[in-house]
Amino acid sequence: MSETWIIIGGWLAAGLTIFLFSFLYKDNPFFKIAEHLYLGAGMGWLFQVSVTNVWIPKIWEPVSKGELLVIIPSIMGLSLLTQFIPKISWISRYGFTFMMGYGSGLAIPAGLSTDFMSQIEGTIKPFSLLASMSPFAIFNSALIAFGAICVLFYFFFSVEHKGHLKKVSNVGIYFLMIYFGAAFGNTVMARFSLLYGRFDDLYTFSGAKYLYATQFILTGMVIYFLVYALFAGRSKNAIKA
Amino acid sequence: MPNNTFRFIPFLFASVLAASPVFAAKSTLPPITGFTAGDMPYDSGSIALLAWDADAGGDTAAAVSPGTLYRVFVSSLETGGWIKAAEFPAGEKMSKNIELPFWAWKVQGNTHALKVELNNYFSGFKDGTVFYFKIAKVKGAAAIESEVVSSVTVSNWFRLDRLNNLILLIILIIVFFWAVFHARRKGLFIRRIAGLDAIDEAIGRATEMGKPIFYVPGIGSMSSISTIASAFILGEVSKKVAQYDSQIKVPHYDPIVMTVCKEVVKQSYMEAGRPDSYREDINQFVSADQFSYAASVDGMISREKPAACFYMGYFMAESLLLAEVGATSGAIQIAGTDVEHQLPFFFTACDYTLIGEELYAAGAYLSKEPMLLSALKVQDFGKLVVMVSVFFSMILVALGARFGWEGFVRGILHLFRNY
Repeated sequence: MSETWIIIGGWLAAGLTIFLFSFLYKDNPFFKIAEHLYLGAGMGWLFQVSVTNVWIPKIWEPVSKGELLVIIPSIMGLSLLTQFIPKISWISRYGFTFMMGYGSGLAIPAGLSTDFMSQIEGTIKPFSLLASMSPFAIFNSALIAFGAICVLFYFFFSVEHKGHLKKVSNVGIYFLMIYFGAAFGNTVMARFSLLYGRFDDLYTFSGAKYLYATQFILTGMVIYFLVYALFAGRSKNAIKA
Repeated sequence: MPNNTFRFIPFLFASVLAASPVFAAKSTLPPITGFTAGDMPYDSGSIALLAWDADAGGDTAAAVSPGTLYRVFVSSLETGGWIKAAEFPAGEKMSKNIELPFWAWKVQGNTHALKVELNNYFSGFKDGTVFYFKIAKVKGAAAIESEVVSSVTVSNWFRLDRLNNLILLIILIIVFFWAVFHARRKGLFIRRIAGLDAIDEAIGRATEMGKPIFYVPGIGSMSSISTIASAFILGEVSKKVAQYDSQIKVPHYDPIVMTVCKEVVKQSYMEAGRPDSYREDINQFVSADQFSYAASVDGMISREKPAACFYMGYFMAESLLLAEVGATSGAIQIAGTDVEHQLPFFFTACDYTLIGEELYAAGAYLSKEPMLLSALKVQDFGKLVVMVSVFFSMILVALGARFGWEGFVRGILHLFRNY
């Protein structure tokens, strides 16, 4: 790749990053440019992924080799597009029905196994090692089982939560909040690492190698906002006058 | 000379026999007995099950001699082409170690049992293909081989090991039909859910302010349970929007979800008696790329300044991006998702948040439809089963472990194992 293209890439990356960050100030034309470019690029990328990862290997190539059975699911998939033609939109129901049917068939047994059976087993299994467990490990296992029951009770909709039942439900909420707090901290840390990544890139693009892309773009935007604020203020005063 | 010859013959005979590995093995290692190969039950036809006696080989836990190994060989030919499939110390891989529940597997005393995944060594074989197996028992330089046995593998239609799942499913189906019957006759009780009572308030606010309502169904596909729940809630929300003659906008990530939601909204407008108010652009496709979708919806919210935002469905990293912009635009926000690690972001940025199951309950709570109410009752029944099972099993397993009732404890764990 030539040096010019690397510089252009740097300016583009720095520019789009700063344009998107500018939304923190307010909605503005730079953000709109980045937003629409992102939208278009995202759709274009997904389209080529669909063509190269789905259409060619899963339909075109098998049909070319004489595996004609793939035509049946392809037609069912295409039937969904009939939604756009009101007169024949009923055809799409066949595709939808099939999708809902196989989706349920896949999801129900898997859900029963993983969300139901495994959860019970996972909660009670530690007690099978009771003889070799330390007092703290026993307390830990009992606490998890107690928390699981209380949290489940919070999501029990068939009885009114009042009196002693409300207390059990409230304990469930405390367990939930402890989890949510931990999850929040964990995710925020992950987001910060993404932010550092963007700042690191902006720092890289601020170097002489990229002709000070970050500084120029930032300065340009600040000038734009100042001029805009000045003119917007003047036009407001003119209207008031 | 004759004397020398007489002395030399037994020496020669002994030397030849000692050099033979078979003899050497026989002299130190007992023979492998009861070696059989068969099809592994309840599988897709790619696993063979080998078994042989442990007692005869001196493999009981107490009698395992250190350094004794078993080597298992597999071939598609009877006479050669052997591939080593496993190697393990004597005393391991016993019948009791096969992970099948007690109703689908009978533990054979002191018997070795080994599953051989044929897919790892052969490809493209079909049901009925014959495979050959032999095992060698090795200790130091001594070795002894079993006879060659053969087996075919077949795929099974029924998985007896998952009988617990089937029974539970049947019970849930029976409870569902019982609940439908009762819901149609006299209705079913659902406790109050705070977040849902705020929906009327949010729609009323939007109507008074003359501003639109944004309903964001998330980035899940139609197979996601939270997206299905979201579609039910959208139906009720859009019915109220139609009744109040307010405006609603539903930006979509998934074209299939959009198609379903279009039907849902159209139906709601018709049920509200306002088919004339329905517009095709209520549901609009934005992008199937997560962050470009988030950026675009953020742009819409910041420009149109909606009075109320609903975020119901499956959300990932875009949850805070959306909810934060909605909060800064001054909208009343109600969110709901079953993605537990995104819920904290909704808590911080929204006025009301439906947590997990509350989202599933919302459709039934709002519509009072017998079918949805019944589904909710089945969920409650499932939760009751889990609570009761955890409570009693915990006590029984602890007692079993305390008093050394190994079989009893294993039996209880098998009841809830995911095979």
